[in-house]
Amino acid sequence: MLLPRFEYHRPARLDEALAILAQHQGQAAVLAGGTDLLVGMKHKLMKPAHVVGLEALEGFGQIQEQEGMLLLGPMLTASALAGEPGVRARATALALGAGVLGSPQVRNRATVGGNVCNARPAADMCVPLLALGATALLQSAHGAREVPLSEFFLGPGRTVRTPGELLCGVKLPAGGPGVGSGYQKLGLRQALEIALVNVAAFVALEDDGQTVKTARVALGAVAPTPILSPGAEAALTGQVISEELIRQAAQAAAADARPIDDHRGSADFRRQEVLVLTRRALQQAWQAARQD
Amino acid sequence: MKKLAITLVVNDTEHELLVAPNRTLAQVLREDLGLTGTKQGCQVGDCGSCTVLLDDEPVNSCLVLAAQVTGRRVRTIEGVADGNRLHPIQEAMVEHGAIQCGFCSPGMILSAKSLLEKNPDPSNGDIRQALSGNLCRCTGYQKIVEAVADAAQKMGRA
Repeated sequence: MLLPRFEYHRPARLDEALAILAQHQGQAAVLAGGTDLLVGMKHKLMKPAHVVGLEALEGFGQIQEQEGMLLLGPMLTASALAGEPGVRARATALALGAGVLGSPQVRNRATVGGNVCNARPAADMCVPLLALGATALLQSAHGAREVPLSEFFLGPGRTVRTPGELLCGVKLPAGGPGVGSGYQKLGLRQALEIALVNVAAFVALEDDGQTVKTARVALGAVAPTPILSPGAEAALTGQVISEELIRQAAQAAAADARPIDDHRGSADFRRQEVLVLTRRALQQAWQAARQD
Repeated sequence: MKKLAITLVVNDTEHELLVAPNRTLAQVLREDLGLTGTKQGCQVGDCGSCTVLLDDEPVNSCLVLAAQVTGRRVRTIEGVADGNRLHPIQEAMVEHGAIQCGFCSPGMILSAKSLLEKNPDPSNGDIRQALSGNLCRCTGYQKIVEAVADAAQKMGRA
């Protein structure tokens, strides 16, 4: 299977990359790991005249921690995120999601930036990032803006990123004492799988160690984009956490899910699974929050 | 389509190549360097037949542009044996009947090699996870898993 023809750009500096994107508005595709873009191009779903490879850009593969925030470079691979002790401790759900994305070979190439910009409803890194309260850092030749992930996704494969913009990083609050997150994925098999349903949960407890200060539950593959469950958040916030509270939140999450029937599973089954996976993800998050 | 000058260090030998940007690492290895041990199966990253090690990590070379990886180290199946002496993983694959049609074997062996370099004493689950991106339609996997476990043991003793 051959790739269509294109001109390749390999900018070494960010301003160079942004200038290329500005010059070829709409004609240029951004290449990070290539595990989605090159498949799409081989299937002739996309035929960009220009491809801009990000591999030579400095700092795009780095993790920084500053003022309680984790700043993830867009070229960080799923393998790097899954194995990085700082991410495992401070953004557990993301490390777990990255660790079950695709296959080992795919994880060694697939990047967090690509996963976010491709905006698949079941994306293994998008669902955790949404629960962790992440923000997309966009830059173009004309300026920069920050968009919360909760406003970033528009539909399958569609985001608010304009053709002239480059995702230059993902920012999220770094977890610490009293904070935990979890990730649950249901597939039809154990590896190389797109989730039938996936759920990420985030819990931050008050100093008393039992009252929920903040909570978020993100659901994948049950709507056109990864979504947050407002019902679960409302059920949890300000309450004393317990198994019973988690059950109520899971019910609220199932009510917020908007699944469809497709070749991989029925809407009813998916809604049932949201209930189960939300419960497990919240238990995971609660346990992690207690341990710190 | 402007061709690009790239450098690849393949099996410890440096190559300077002029490649069209739309050519994958798999194509350049097979067609320009004649290293046809790297197989092309699905060509969209699902089957793992084209697995090579890029800076010691397994990747699907069908989903890597050659131009993307200029300056980097690649190991293919041709660079696994020591001259005529097979690598312990290759030997174990033969002994255990883990090679039937052989199409998946190069990729399997490279994934296993990467695993054993990082984890010399893997559990059965570790082996299965490391090979989860390599599809085999002949063996049912069991013999391959046994071969890798045996190779790990022998390499540990050596």
